Amino acid sequence: MAIQVLNGLVYGALLFALASGLALMFGLRRIVNFAHGALYMLGAYVGYTASLQFGFWAGLAVAGLVLAALGVVLDKAVFRPLQHRDPLTTLLVTFGLALIAEDLVLSVWGNDTMSFAEPQQLAHTLSLFETTFPIYRLAIVGFGAAVAIGLVLWLRFSRVGLFVRAASHDPVIAAVQGVDTDRVSALVVAVSAALAGMSGVVAAPLMSLAPSMGADILVDSFIVVVVGGLGSLGGAFITAMLLGQINVLGVVFMPELTSLLPFLLMIGILLWKPTGLAGARL
Amino acid sequence: MNSLLAFENVESGYGNARILHGVSFVIAPGESVAILGRNGVGKSTAVNTMLGIARLFAGDVYIQGRRTTSLRHYTAARAGIAVVVQGRGILPNLTVRENLILGGAANRRGHWTLERVFELYPVLAERANSAGTALSGGQQQMLAIGRALMANPDLLVLDEPSEGLAPVIIDEMAEVLRRLSADGTAILLIEQNLTLVERVADIFHVLSKGRVVEHGRTEHTSAADLQKHIAI
Ligand SMILES: Nc1ncnc2c1ncn2[C@@H]1O[C@H](COP(=O)(O)OP(=O)(O)OP(=O)(O)O)[C@@H](O)[C@H]1O
Ligand SMILES: [Mg+2]
Repeated sequence: MAIQVLNGLVYGALLFALASGLALMFGLRRIVNFAHGALYMLGAYVGYTASLQFGFWAGLAVAGLVLAALGVVLDKAVFRPLQHRDPLTTLLVTFGLALIAEDLVLSVWGNDTMSFAEPQQLAHTLSLFETTFPIYRLAIVGFGAAVAIGLVLWLRFSRVGLFVRAASHDPVIAAVQGVDTDRVSALVVAVSAALAGMSGVVAAPLMSLAPSMGADILVDSFIVVVVGGLGSLGGAFITAMLLGQINVLGVVFMPELTSLLPFLLMIGILLWKPTGLAGARL
Repeated sequence: MNSLLAFENVESGYGNARILHGVSFVIAPGESVAILGRNGVGKSTAVNTMLGIARLFAGDVYIQGRRTTSLRHYTAARAGIAVVVQGRGILPNLTVRENLILGGAANRRGHWTLERVFELYPVLAERANSAGTALSGGQQQMLAIGRALMANPDLLVLDEPSEGLAPVIIDEMAEVLRRLSADGTAILLIEQNLTLVERVADIFHVLSKGRVVEHGRTEHTSAADLQKHIAI
């Protein structure tokens, strides 16, 4: 049971790392990025390839850097032109990008399952609650916590973070004060993409690499963002943790309902609070 | 040309609708100028044109003497023209202090710092950690002016700053604006409140239906004459 709660935290941490980027991007560009799962998947593959040469940590760093650069391109080439278009256009375009990314990965890396080994330093188990638990999984919880703390410190206490919060609330007012909101957006998309890519690397040792790995976690990430309150980090954090628990505890107590539970949670919370848990943004 | 801001036959509006039909005016360093006009004549549209919010159809906008073709929202602030927008534009998700820091986003050094703004408006220092919109209307206007000063502007533009404020508070604001003007900051005051205009502006332009229909010096014009252009 306690082990299940820990596993819930592991999944919640991954969900948060992914959903926080989605929430930030929505806050700034009002864009719902259906390609976010593809960024996670790309990160895993890029990190995998780099790790074959230079090891896990280098793979993690390379995935973060490559995806950050990709994020800048994505913001300039796709999100900026799309920001005043109707949501359906954005949905179709980003969904199309996700399909292209999956195809690309298939043609570059093929369809063979590849497994990504966890770093040796963390390839141990810990005795916990009269059983054993892989240290690597605890490290993932640490990763999620580091992302949450890092983002909060960045948004609350840095000058750029202040501009991000200002632009998320009112991009025109922020820009009139002298903020180049396009550059702020490019930065936020870069950070979000890097987080997605690094989450892909971090998650990869738990499963085998597959081009579809992004699509699976994307649905849950969206639920986190919507339930948390569009654009809210705090809301996303709480919901990610909740969903992580529901996911694992559901398997234990209501196996036939597990795949439905996240949706039931979403419907329930939105009926109760239509703007999501947090209501206000950032 | 060494004006801070100049409009030359500016035609601008929103979408396909033209609101301004050839507006011209010049603001030289240190001048204090008012633009008067009734509701809906296009006063804010003039500001929005400079800010790249309204669409420029024809004519030219000169910022710091330079003809500026691509007007981005941040262009003016970075060139030393700070704007207190109509409705003040205080961000509710930022504290008073954070709103002020935001005003320094253009990175222009000069007299005005957070400390100096707090000296000018001690109440902002007392409420530094409150949400910007938790302040009273008058205090929010102080915050809006303080935020604009954080840009160390050569020209301070205020769009109907007296809107919704009590007469005593408007008096205090007039005093602050006069002091700023005396210290060399140029002021563009968009107003319907004549007391403020008479106390702050030397020059006025009257806008009507998207055109400047009259201009002059406030000292040579009676309040009754000015009133004619504003009263409905
Ligand atoms: N964003 C906008 N999109 C379309 N039309 C607009 C927009 N803003 C203003 N207008 C229209 O432009 C005209 C001029 O508006 P503007 O805000 O410039 O007037 P104003 O002189 O500032 O009035 P007020 O004293 O009420 O602030 C009005 O008819 C208004 O309806
Ligand atoms: Mg107006």
